[in-house]
Amino acid sequence: MISVIQKKNRKFKEINYYQNHDVSNYFLLPFRFQKINSKTEILVNEVGDFLLVPVGTAEQIILKKLDKIKDEDLYLDLISNFFISEEVIPPLLNILEARYRTKKSFLDHFTALHIFVISLRCEHTCHYCQVSRVTENKDEFDMSLYHIDEGIKIMMHSPNPHITMEFQGGEALLAFNNIKYAVLKAKEEALLYEKHMTFVICTNLAPLTDDMLPFIKEHNIMISSSLDGPAFIHNQNRHRPQRNSYEVTIEGLNKCRAILGEDNISALLTTTNLSLDYPTEIVEEYVKQGFSNIFLRPISPYGFATYNEKKNKYQTEKFLTFYKSAFEKIIDYNKKGYYIREDYATVILKKILTSFPVGYVDLQSPAGMINNVIVFNYDGKIYASDEARMLAEMNDFTFQLGILGQSTYNEIFYGKKAMEIAENWTNESLAGCSECAFQSYCGADPVLNHATQGNMYGYRPTNVFCQKNMEIIRYLFDLMEDKSIEKIFRSWITGHSE
Amino acid sequence: MILKTKGSPYDINTPIIGRVTRIPENIEYEIFISETIFSKTWYKFKAVLSTVKIISSLEIPIIHSIEKLDHLDEGDIVIINTDGIINTIYRKNSDHNFLLFTERCNSNCLMCSQPPKDRDDTDYFFSQYSQAIPLIPKDCPEIGITGGEPTLLGNRFLKLIKQLKEELPETELHCLTNGRSFAWENVAQKVGEIDHKRLMLAVPLYADVYHIHDYIVQAKDAFNQTIQGIYNLAKYGQRIEIRIVLHKQTIPRLAKLAKFIYKNLPFVEHIAFMGLEHEGYTSFNIDKLWIDPVEYQQELTEAVSYLSDFGMNVSIYNAQLCTLPENLWKYSRKSISDWKNIYFDECNKCDLLDQCGGMFASGIKKHSDFIKAIYFS
Amino acid sequence: MKNIVTLINNELHFSLNEQLYDEDVVFKCFYWYGTDYNVEIDKKDNVFFVKISSKSETKIDHDHLLIKIKQDLIDFKLRDIVTKETKNIRELLTAKAFAHFETDENPVTEISDPIGFDPTNF
Repeated sequence: MISVIQKKNRKFKEINYYQNHDVSNYFLLPFRFQKINSKTEILVNEVGDFLLVPVGTAEQIILKKLDKIKDEDLYLDLISNFFISEEVIPPLLNILEARYRTKKSFLDHFTALHIFVISLRCEHTCHYCQVSRVTENKDEFDMSLYHIDEGIKIMMHSPNPHITMEFQGGEALLAFNNIKYAVLKAKEEALLYEKHMTFVICTNLAPLTDDMLPFIKEHNIMISSSLDGPAFIHNQNRHRPQRNSYEVTIEGLNKCRAILGEDNISALLTTTNLSLDYPTEIVEEYVKQGFSNIFLRPISPYGFATYNEKKNKYQTEKFLTFYKSAFEKIIDYNKKGYYIREDYATVILKKILTSFPVGYVDLQSPAGMINNVIVFNYDGKIYASDEARMLAEMNDFTFQLGILGQSTYNEIFYGKKAMEIAENWTNESLAGCSECAFQSYCGADPVLNHATQGNMYGYRPTNVFCQKNMEIIRYLFDLMEDKSIEKIFRSWITGHSE
Repeated sequence: MILKTKGSPYDINTPIIGRVTRIPENIEYEIFISETIFSKTWYKFKAVLSTVKIISSLEIPIIHSIEKLDHLDEGDIVIINTDGIINTIYRKNSDHNFLLFTERCNSNCLMCSQPPKDRDDTDYFFSQYSQAIPLIPKDCPEIGITGGEPTLLGNRFLKLIKQLKEELPETELHCLTNGRSFAWENVAQKVGEIDHKRLMLAVPLYADVYHIHDYIVQAKDAFNQTIQGIYNLAKYGQRIEIRIVLHKQTIPRLAKLAKFIYKNLPFVEHIAFMGLEHEGYTSFNIDKLWIDPVEYQQELTEAVSYLSDFGMNVSIYNAQLCTLPENLWKYSRKSISDWKNIYFDECNKCDLLDQCGGMFASGIKKHSDFIKAIYFS
Repeated sequence: MKNIVTLINNELHFSLNEQLYDEDVVFKCFYWYGTDYNVEIDKKDNVFFVKISSKSETKIDHDHLLIKIKQDLIDFKLRDIVTKETKNIRELLTAKAFAHFETDENPVTEISDPIGFDPTNF
């Protein structure tokens, strides 16, 4: 029943037998390096895996001074992490390919986020806002039903099966009837085009009334509100005749939490010159209001951006000081057992610590504009990003892609303007970025380059986007040398901690 | 636990597979166990097993003069061989049933608990299991598939998996494989096409660099084949578990292996860290393998918490709680098959006895120096 | 680095031999000096003549700047080595990553079954 076919020697062999002895030397795989502090430099490979090593290690590796026996641990780390290979074409190249494809797969489905500027009207007069109007004139400053219909048509054309429709202002809730119309219409169309819809309303919550909540709840609409810090900052930032923006916001937050549920309401921080002096107080306010995340956004350079290098650099440095102070406070809370994450760092950390694609509009390459987001303005004009529409409000129409009802899908998304932007939206091909160690954690922002430096390509040595991201990313690695902080970072990525 | 017994055969020309019963009325079963002398009811069955000595042919396949049959329960599935050997294939009252698909293997792991045999047993086992699978109770919660390397059955491997899916659609299937065959994409594709949602392929991965893994499994190119195999399986939607045996060769780069898994194989469903079993080759290679579990606490903690922090599903098998740091207790599972599982006298004093996975019976030969009862009060 | 001239009016001049520093290295390196300095690069007979002057009123610390330049030149030369040595493999990687076709590549290595199992026969 059982036939003995062949006897084979199964004598055990020593480990040396299994090592590749043909190699007199190794081959480099694509990687980049950068000093992160006086003792440590970072090596980052083509898919974003990194090794922290003593300064001078990159030189050893690149000049092939590494000894397989003497530097065994490092040598094996480099093989295992795809920094070097013993064969010209590494045997696991297709694994690296798959990982590269995965990292860039946020591109696969194309535009998800469709922003509808549903009204430009607002009852706040925030000093930093260049856009909104205090007016009763709905005809001029609300998006017309025709433009809503046309916007939905374009939106349904997106190849992406998951679509987010976001209502912005001005103050979006001032045009609540139009929001209702748009949501119902989009839902109807979504059935036809088999789209999975998510709805978001961005609002300062001031015009929120109880009769709006049932509709918001029924259609699972997420509320994205604003909280700039404690009352003295928030009210200073957000002018309202009654000087009660903070009180109104907190009341609205609590109402939304009670009726819509904790997960359906979030708050965004707008950083202003005033905020920069109060990093701790702002973080404390977010904790006081029970938030488990805070997004420390830099001051928007739109509106008062200049081509003045010195002023831009000074602003960036001030913001970074603010960011780090606030960040330390956040880490402090986590160490004490209160879970709160910083959203911008979390985006970067996901790119650093995981293999998953991270499509975050303001920090990806190719850039998020068009690929990930499109903006339909109240007047029917179409822009490549929210920032592009801000520029337009200052009469710079560089990033206008078309007009609702007039331009075809192809003209908007694949037209001459889109192609021109595309020339500048991959950091892999930008001077200063192409050999930067942080390339795979960073992105490209042609709109910001244009607004601050006068051209989409940008000039990295004096670029605010570059200065800010280089330092934040370096700072995160610096912090990660502390293992307890690295563990906190992991909990930010997964959203749970032990 | 006895899984094999022997008696004297009569009229057995070909192996017979069936469920055993001691109740003469249970005629839907195939094999009758009789403690008495001949009765007419015997003819209702395909074969008879008896402890009594029978001296002449009764023109029915019989194995007699069997020393003991206590280990067989109603409904257990056995194969009775022409040489009088009776192997238990399936135990109805156990949660630890496994089907050994072959004893052949293309690897030769230093710590193999079931050293491979270089003879072609695939026809024999295929025939055995294709007959046994329909007899397994439909409510069986879980079955293991083991070897040897099960994929060496080739197309018959696919046939058995298909048959298991059809006959036992609700049964979880846990198949141990070194994963190397799946480096050939056609193999991964075929398994993917069976589309059995309850099939989990458990693949061992022992290092993040090729030569250490290849050394441990004693096969050149095994590492690259296994990694490629796992990728191909993932491509075809196959569920995958990674298994790591903890010993002197795997410990030094364990944390790096954990990182390699999360970075390169984040799609795997489960990662099991497994204590060493003292069976098969292990005793022979003990100097190359043995490290007291207490001495690798730090490496194990780092690897387990790293993966767990990132939301990966992690387990520790074959570990005694007294050898693990307390923060790892929650990952420890009672994983040792009932028939191999023992506890020491010291263990009976321990407050955690009920939660502890205990020890392989073979652990008598060598075990941690730090086995000690834990008291809560 | 040769012909180093430090001028009190906040300038630094020096020359670099192309045999030591490829044009790519020189330009990529001094690109970053645009944050704080004006940089002028001329080339004559395989020699780059570099003139650096401060953009601001603050005085150049020549010694410090020279050390930084030397270190940066080494780093950018190393980066250049990696870029050039790995050009083909990077192109292969991205091309294959975004390819719309699947290449059927089976291992060229042995499955090493003593009884002769052949995975291609599946």
